[in-house]
Amino acid sequence: MPETVTVRVQRQDQRGGRPYTQEFRLPYKPRMNVISVLQDIACEPRTASGEDTTPVAWDCACLEEVCGACSMVINGKVRQACTALVDNLLKEQPVIDLRPMTKFPVIRDLVVDRSRMFEALKQVKAWIPVDTYGDVGEGPMIAPEQADSRYPKSRCMTCGCCLEVCPQVNEHSDFIGPQAIAQAVLFNEHPTGAMTAATRLEALMGPGGISDCGNSQNCVKACPKEVPLTEAIAIAGRATTWHAIKRWFTK
Amino acid sequence: MSGVQPGLLERNHFLLRRLHSLSGVIPIGAFLINHLLANSLTPTPAAFNEEVEWIHGLPYLVFIEFGMIFLPLAFHAGYGVVIAMQAKHNVQAYGYADNYRFTLQRVSGWIAAVFIVVHLLHFRFAGLVGGTSYPDVVHDGATPYGAAYAGFQSFLPLALWMIIYAIGIVASVYHFANGMCTFCITWGITVGNRSRRAVSIAMTGLALVLLFFGFRGLYGMSSNFEAGQTDSHGLPADLAEHRGDLGHDTRPGEQG
Repeated sequence: MPETVTVRVQRQDQRGGRPYTQEFRLPYKPRMNVISVLQDIACEPRTASGEDTTPVAWDCACLEEVCGACSMVINGKVRQACTALVDNLLKEQPVIDLRPMTKFPVIRDLVVDRSRMFEALKQVKAWIPVDTYGDVGEGPMIAPEQADSRYPKSRCMTCGCCLEVCPQVNEHSDFIGPQAIAQAVLFNEHPTGAMTAATRLEALMGPGGISDCGNSQNCVKACPKEVPLTEAIAIAGRATTWHAIKRWFTK
Repeated sequence: MSGVQPGLLERNHFLLRRLHSLSGVIPIGAFLINHLLANSLTPTPAAFNEEVEWIHGLPYLVFIEFGMIFLPLAFHAGYGVVIAMQAKHNVQAYGYADNYRFTLQRVSGWIAAVFIVVHLLHFRFAGLVGGTSYPDVVHDGATPYGAAYAGFQSFLPLALWMIIYAIGIVASVYHFANGMCTFCITWGITVGNRSRRAVSIAMTGLALVLLFFGFRGLYGMSSNFEAGQTDSHGLPADLAEHRGDLGHDTRPGEQG
């Protein structure tokens, strides 16, 4: 059992600022995770070389891997800080390495701006439109098979891991990313959502849409919620193709 | 994008991407299979000649050649470069097998594109670089096998040609076979994990067959050289004059 834990953190003071690295050494405690490490740093923000510094900023909320807020690149791989246990991380490498995700703008230190994913949900209209002036009654029944198929996609917590690992999501590309495609499919598979399926497909057919997927299939492997992203992309690929053919012949 | 009238490429983005995906299978993939199959017949010059002469007997060949091969190839390669430039590879951080396949798909695409240009200048458009292509010498009594045989003696030593062609064949076959797997995802044919795995296995099998065809063709060419064979079917003696730097103005018929 180690007496101390050494953590290297990539820091950045503000948006667009220059990133720099600081190292921290903390007393080891059993069952530490990355969040508790960051809390310990915040209690006494001093680098390993003894210089006083500002506390490292990070984002978290639920602490049980359902909110998606604490995604960061830990030991070179993107994951949730709350479920990244120090004991396991030390087996990977002796110094724990924390960096912000690279596909999102850094706000400060490990806090990134994930709003592009929420904008993407708006773009694909990832909701069921039920706003009307009057009572339209109950919606259609959902078959258990359909509910089973939809449930895994509904687990998405907009954490950004799939975008982080996707080679097609980067500064040279407009690719919307796997998360929004899976959510478009989720709502197209809903019997009420299916009534407006075409608008979601259309939203996926422009530059940066479904056809910018390069089929590396990293997303499905990195997803902490095991959302079947490649499956969703294939379903969306088929649906958009049929939609394009139908649209062309009915014009 | 807001407020700006989208350009032709933006408006047809989905169509272009789908055409890029489709063109890799039909006609380019189909042509690759046919081409390597024909090459595998080289150990018997007669069979090779028969196959190539059948192709040259096709009606409207120039339209087939340009419309079904050169144009789709140019589009697939050109637009493929645009797509390849978009990727930011990350196999070092995320070393999944499929991620390596993704990176190799782009690497093999670059290699295949360069190789195909070299290959076209080596045979089909050899006239442009001072060499001899089969259509230029067919009237002088050259056979397809003879022209191919002569081509491998031009410009570079045989061993170097063999290495270049081996690399080109491996890159093209990988790009095609792996591209078939991703084609099936893109078009929503293999939605589930199991079907994706089944297609991967089937395409590995197809790739091995195509590699066998391709290497059998190369072996057929090189082994005939090693045997020092002056074949009865192929090379007329005076075809040697068409190698290297000789232009079309020095055809044997016109010389005498």
